[in-house]
Amino acid sequence: MTANFRSLPVILLLTIVSLPLVIMYAFTIVDTFTNTEPGSLMPNEFTTEHWRFLWSSDVGRGSVWVSTVNTFIFASTTALIVSGISLTAAYALSRLEFPARRFFLAGIIILHAFPTITLIIAIFLILQLLGLFDTLIGVIMVKTALELPFGIWIMKGFYDTVPWEIEMAGVQDGASRFMVWRKLVLPQVQPGLAALLIFSFLSGWSEFILPLVLAPGSDAQVLSTYLAYFLLDDSLEVDFNLFKSVGLFYAVPVILIYLVFQKKLMNIYGGGSKG
Amino acid sequence: MPRTSKPRFNWLGLGFMAPALIVVALFFLAPVIMTGLFAFTNMSTSTGITGGEYLLTQSNLRALENSGVSDETFETLSTTSYRVDEAGLARLAEQHNQATADEFRTLHGDTVFTARRDMERALKDLNQNRIRSTRDRKAAAELFTSSVLDERFVEETDFRAALANAGINDADHEILVTEAFTGWVWTTENVELLTSLSSSARYAMNTAIYVIFTLAFNVGFGLLLAISTFYLSPRVASSFRTIWFLPRVLPPVLYVLMWYWLTWDTGIISTFAGYFGFAPRNWMLDTATNAWVVIILINGFVGASLGMILFSSAIKAIPSSMLYASEVDGANRWQQVRYIILPQLRWPILFTSSYQTLSLLTSFEYILLATDGGPGGTTEVWALAAYHTALNNYGGNLQYGLGAAYALVLVIIGIITSLLYLRFFNFRELVSKPRIEN
Repeated sequence: MTANFRSLPVILLLTIVSLPLVIMYAFTIVDTFTNTEPGSLMPNEFTTEHWRFLWSSDVGRGSVWVSTVNTFIFASTTALIVSGISLTAAYALSRLEFPARRFFLAGIIILHAFPTITLIIAIFLILQLLGLFDTLIGVIMVKTALELPFGIWIMKGFYDTVPWEIEMAGVQDGASRFMVWRKLVLPQVQPGLAALLIFSFLSGWSEFILPLVLAPGSDAQVLSTYLAYFLLDDSLEVDFNLFKSVGLFYAVPVILIYLVFQKKLMNIYGGGSKG
Repeated sequence: MPRTSKPRFNWLGLGFMAPALIVVALFFLAPVIMTGLFAFTNMSTSTGITGGEYLLTQSNLRALENSGVSDETFETLSTTSYRVDEAGLARLAEQHNQATADEFRTLHGDTVFTARRDMERALKDLNQNRIRSTRDRKAAAELFTSSVLDERFVEETDFRAALANAGINDADHEILVTEAFTGWVWTTENVELLTSLSSSARYAMNTAIYVIFTLAFNVGFGLLLAISTFYLSPRVASSFRTIWFLPRVLPPVLYVLMWYWLTWDTGIISTFAGYFGFAPRNWMLDTATNAWVVIILINGFVGASLGMILFSSAIKAIPSSMLYASEVDGANRWQQVRYIILPQLRWPILFTSSYQTLSLLTSFEYILLATDGGPGGTTEVWALAAYHTALNNYGGNLQYGLGAAYALVLVIIGIITSLLYLRFFNFRELVSKPRIEN
């Protein structure tokens, strides 16, 4: 619409400010397959040695495959539970009349804005008391609970867009509210549900602080803590090519999912989950 | 809110809410309340979190020196006495034989000796079952040592009984019991500590720096990206948006790793500067200013994308006729941005700022990964201090209580701010809107 203005200066400006990010992305991929002379920028040989963490167990803390399985269990379980619970709770908040509805509605808005990370110390102690410290189950429960207000909020947004006429028609025809929800409303919010599932999965896959604090042992280790071990352990020799390979291995599912479901996810990311 | 013709009371609603309520109550509301409670305890690694025992040690005595405990009590506690009781006799029977123990019981049962010499002399009284060598007698005397010091008592009553047995003045019992307890107790010390420590002021200061600069970067770059991509063709615009959106999608650990590689002494900036003869240096950690710049950039490159999305969709909502009209009237691009686009962004900017203020106040993930508060604590923000105090420090004694007090401050701020949001913003409007994709 704004053909009167030249776009070249804008592109130039954007390219300059985006340069650090582009360089970081590019070298993260290139460096995992190549070696570079110290003091040089351009790689000079092809190698697969940086991926040795996949088959040799003496790199890093514990096996990367155990961590991968843990991460998958963690991310998918939280995603399923969060989506499942949000699916019913959000419908209730959006469409059903029940005692103290306004109170719950306000509560969910407050919880949605509330910075959950401040609760980590209390949660740490509670898990110790419950005997769930350093277990995958414990972290899954905590992550689910902390993610839930967000999930309910998003799901409620999707329910709000379903036309009332559909439900009214169902009720007129003699279906119960439950049947109306199951047969008529659920198909309408399916895209929303899929988006929430994907979003929660990504959020679980990337989660770092909760596993770091609540499951520090190597049995329940997930990929984020597996990778963080390289960064936070000062005694290790810094080998960025290796670190990046681990990082890329960790992030590939995220990047693929994001690229495939980009449009679906945009609706949710706008709600903001990171500073 | 639209309703069905007749609003009816519906149990299905509560049933549908139930699972959410249970989970939220257990792992969300409980932690809020517990943070408040823990903040008023002295819980730490050394007190444990479940209970405690009673153990009086030399260092407890030193701590009690000026607390009004009588000198007599100190004297009694610090000198060892010898008590011929059943426990000691059993040990004697084990060491020698039952007959010796029995004979000794008849001779000196239930006697207390305050000096070692007296105890050994008493052992000499044994007639039928002599302990011949001096060394054996010394060893036997040791079996009867009775001291309240360095002995663990599981129950308070046992500990009190031991104090009474040792002949300690009743007046001093209370204070000794308090001092000897190894578990956690309720206290307001944390609050006093929080207000008096100079480090608290520094953490607050650091947090202010962190929030203000990051926020400025986020909003500024969010605006820049949203407005500039608005003027580009959809293809180009969406590639730039993807570049800027990826940091939000990438796992934080990998994202920070990339910054390590960018800024460390073996990283790309140092290598590049090396071409011009500069010595390699760690741009992230070598000075406090550098550390701050890097932290603000790390957070800012993630945060800018939220502004970008929200502002972009707000700009899209501007009627194109307004923009055309301004161009016909001869407005240049700057004037168009200044007088047409920016006024439309007032609310999104306000929303983004307040939303991000709260999340920046309490977030520490990126700082923890990047500088961990360094160099020398210069980038230690309040939330990170809470984490370090309670969950991870080099000293090893984790002070859960004090850490919870730090966290409590943030929890209270969080609750108040969330309530304010509920009051002032039409959250529903603002949160569910963005639909930017072409």
